[in-house]
Amino acid sequence: MKKVFALALTGALCLSLLAGCSSAASGSGSATAAAGELNLFAFGEMFPQEVLDGFTQETGIKVNYSTFDTDETMLSRLETSKGGDYDVVIADDYIIKTAIDEGLVSELDKDQIPNLGNVNPVYQGQFFDPEDKYTVPHGAGVMTIVYDPALVGKEITSYEDLWDASLADNLAIIGNYRVIDGMALKLMGESYNVEDPAVIQSAGEKLLELAPNIRAIQDANTQDLLISGEVAAAVMYTSQTYLAKINRSDLEIAYPSEGLGFGLMAQFVPVNAPNKDAAYQFINYLLDPEVSKQCFEYMGYYCTNQAAEELFDDATKELLVLPEDFLSSNDIEMIQPVSAEAEEAHMQVWTEFKSACGQ
Amino acid sequence: MKNRTFLPNLFLGIVTVIFYLPIVLVVLYSFNENKLTSVWSGFSLKWYQMLFQDKAIFEALGNSIFLGICASVNAAVIGTLGAVGFTRIRSRSKGPVEYLSMLPIMIPEIILGMVFMAFFSLLGLPFGMTTLILSHTVFCIPYVYMLVKARLVGMDPGLVEAARDLGASDVRAFFDVTLPLLAPAIASGMLLSFAMSFDDVIISIFVTGVNVNTLPILIYSQLKVGVTPEINALCTLMLAATILLVALSAVLGRPRRSRHR
Amino acid sequence: MKKRSKLWLTVVPLYVFTLLFVLGPMIYMVVLSFQTRAEVWGVVNEFTLDNYKNIFHPVYLQTFAESFKLAITSTLFIVAIGYPFGYFMAKLSPVWKKRMMLLLMIPFWTSSLIRMYGWIIIFRANGTLDKLLMGLGLTQSPLKLLYTYPAVVVGMVYALLQFMIFAVYSSAEKLDWSLVEAARDLGASPWQAFRTVTLKLTLPGLLSGVILTFIPSMGLFFIADILGGNKVVLVGSLIQDQLMKAHNWPFAAALSVALMIMTTLMIALYKRVTHSEELEGLL
Repeated sequence: MKKVFALALTGALCLSLLAGCSSAASGSGSATAAAGELNLFAFGEMFPQEVLDGFTQETGIKVNYSTFDTDETMLSRLETSKGGDYDVVIADDYIIKTAIDEGLVSELDKDQIPNLGNVNPVYQGQFFDPEDKYTVPHGAGVMTIVYDPALVGKEITSYEDLWDASLADNLAIIGNYRVIDGMALKLMGESYNVEDPAVIQSAGEKLLELAPNIRAIQDANTQDLLISGEVAAAVMYTSQTYLAKINRSDLEIAYPSEGLGFGLMAQFVPVNAPNKDAAYQFINYLLDPEVSKQCFEYMGYYCTNQAAEELFDDATKELLVLPEDFLSSNDIEMIQPVSAEAEEAHMQVWTEFKSACGQ
Repeated sequence: MKNRTFLPNLFLGIVTVIFYLPIVLVVLYSFNENKLTSVWSGFSLKWYQMLFQDKAIFEALGNSIFLGICASVNAAVIGTLGAVGFTRIRSRSKGPVEYLSMLPIMIPEIILGMVFMAFFSLLGLPFGMTTLILSHTVFCIPYVYMLVKARLVGMDPGLVEAARDLGASDVRAFFDVTLPLLAPAIASGMLLSFAMSFDDVIISIFVTGVNVNTLPILIYSQLKVGVTPEINALCTLMLAATILLVALSAVLGRPRRSRHR
Repeated sequence: MKKRSKLWLTVVPLYVFTLLFVLGPMIYMVVLSFQTRAEVWGVVNEFTLDNYKNIFHPVYLQTFAESFKLAITSTLFIVAIGYPFGYFMAKLSPVWKKRMMLLLMIPFWTSSLIRMYGWIIIFRANGTLDKLLMGLGLTQSPLKLLYTYPAVVVGMVYALLQFMIFAVYSSAEKLDWSLVEAARDLGASPWQAFRTVTLKLTLPGLLSGVILTFIPSMGLFFIADILGGNKVVLVGSLIQDQLMKAHNWPFAAALSVALMIMTTLMIALYKRVTHSEELEGLL
């Protein structure tokens, strides 16, 4: 009798757990392969609804847009599904390299992407895909300095200017340690991707001198600190720079003279994508200049589509297209994965820096 | 006599006022017409209007409520049964298991978040509502368990014996005698569990899936600045609900307070 | 005997759940802490002690030290406010005790994030406090209190004070006041009576409160994040950074094990000193 009772209660328990499972399954809008569908997997807020609707109108293919919040989540999903489930994935450079190395990415059939010629060649042939066999760039991110001229009182042109004592307690930075450590590396004339832990350590010492100027370290909504006047200058992601400028046109953007680190997002087709044809149609559609323009204006990343550049109005162009002379110079460098040893040195430098900021 | 209690009471009063100050400000600014909390530009209900049109907030609210209910029901079943069983069982593993099951509320939450994240990905469980419910159940069990256990200690074992002597089966005795006596403790345990689950940020951040937001996670991501007064409005409504809940728990049994989550 | 044998069924769910979702993850945490981080991604199944050695790197030791410093600072403030609060509260009349209880419960049932947000409103540039001080002519320009160390301390104190109050209250409530009076009758000064009787008898509550505030304050990274602009590094924020940013899970696991050991030691010490099985006023 007791057994029955215990069983009944265990049953009730299981039911409530199952309720959780089933609701989770239905909640995440699980992507199942069916004819006339496309499973898109990307960061959130990357596509305006018109762009997705436009594709459906043009081709009759329904777009299932699922999102991830970190590249690592994306990769583990892709590993679990053995490169299936999704048709088009958009992620950051370094993780794509890992995905390619693990054989999760299929080679592109370029004949099916007539618009491929629209891509700005500057962004092609990068470390993660030197022969452009697997990926199509979709947006570049550059770390820029944005400042409020009224509060700074002088022009900022370099990373060095950020170290100036006049910015004491007035600088906000993002929490990306490769970028922030990289500022010090650049100041020392080193590469972002330096492997020698000793060099990274000495960059760390340089970085400690910056600590008194740091008001906040924050990844999300960094631009709001600048907009609200909480800080006078900020080192931010491209999309945040874009939002800052849109909200306050009096803010100034500085491309530091020591050189910039940049990152790329790119699209790829997983090796076992259920709807490869639809995937190619979608990639091609996104490369259409007009569609590209809409996408970049929506997400605020630097435009990787040369054909779309002409379509922006002047003010937007200034924000979404990197200056010509900048791209041609050698001052622009991709941030690449480094060895575990160098990574550890970065983490130590970063931790030390953060606690120095709190003193 | 008056002089001897005046200073202590003044102290109690001042501290209580400071307790309420941040909350009062949040409520106050939910009625501010201006978006900036530094400027008061007049009374307005527009943030409430906007709040009710915000799908993301309501989805997160729904998730949080669902999660809280699932976790507290699970905890109630597991915790109550465990506490009842343990008072009558003697086993060498009893001590260690009891210690282990209480552990989740003793250690810093960050550890729980870390281990769940690692463990669930080891198991290959997809992060989302399932992992949220599992992890929340783990830290809700101790609340129910401890409250029920405390109640059982003060309970007369003769009552169950009497029922059994009168011919009731174990199960009958449990449902007819033990359970009604335990009900207030279970209820306050569940309420406490719900509140803990509803307010949890740290563990949820580590075990949530991509498209599953709970309310605290949503608020946390907005809080880092750039908060719209919609959040103030939501807080005000939640505060009202809380007061209702506290009143309810005061009616249901001895009031219990929450542990910070 | 036969009845006994069926009774164990009631504890099956608790056993299963505890072993599977408490012991299991804890064991995995320990295992993980001895594994090696893969070059690019994930974990390699190779035994190493490096993660523990790494904790002793000066940078991370300093983090522990600073986290301790913050925890001690917060706890001192919490003791200074919470102990008298709980003590005075226990002396109130029954009606007022109940009212006070309810008054305290409402803020603490409110979302902790929202309460932190209230402090943001107070501290931010040109926020409530600046307005007040400037209005009174005490300061000329915004104080810029948000994203400072004091702001984090205020947040910690505010978030954790309730544990101290309730722990002290619950032991002070059980206090037999006639003992205090007896001490007074025997010629003890109020201070002597407090020290020899009251303090001694409320010590379990006080110590429990210290543990209940000290331990969480090392992990509450979101307070350091929201009110401290992410500049104050707690052990908790270090673990979070290692997990979410550096993807160094084995090191995060080793840090967690270290924190876990410290926590367990503190609780064991408490039980030893107070001879009690559970923390006073935990619930």
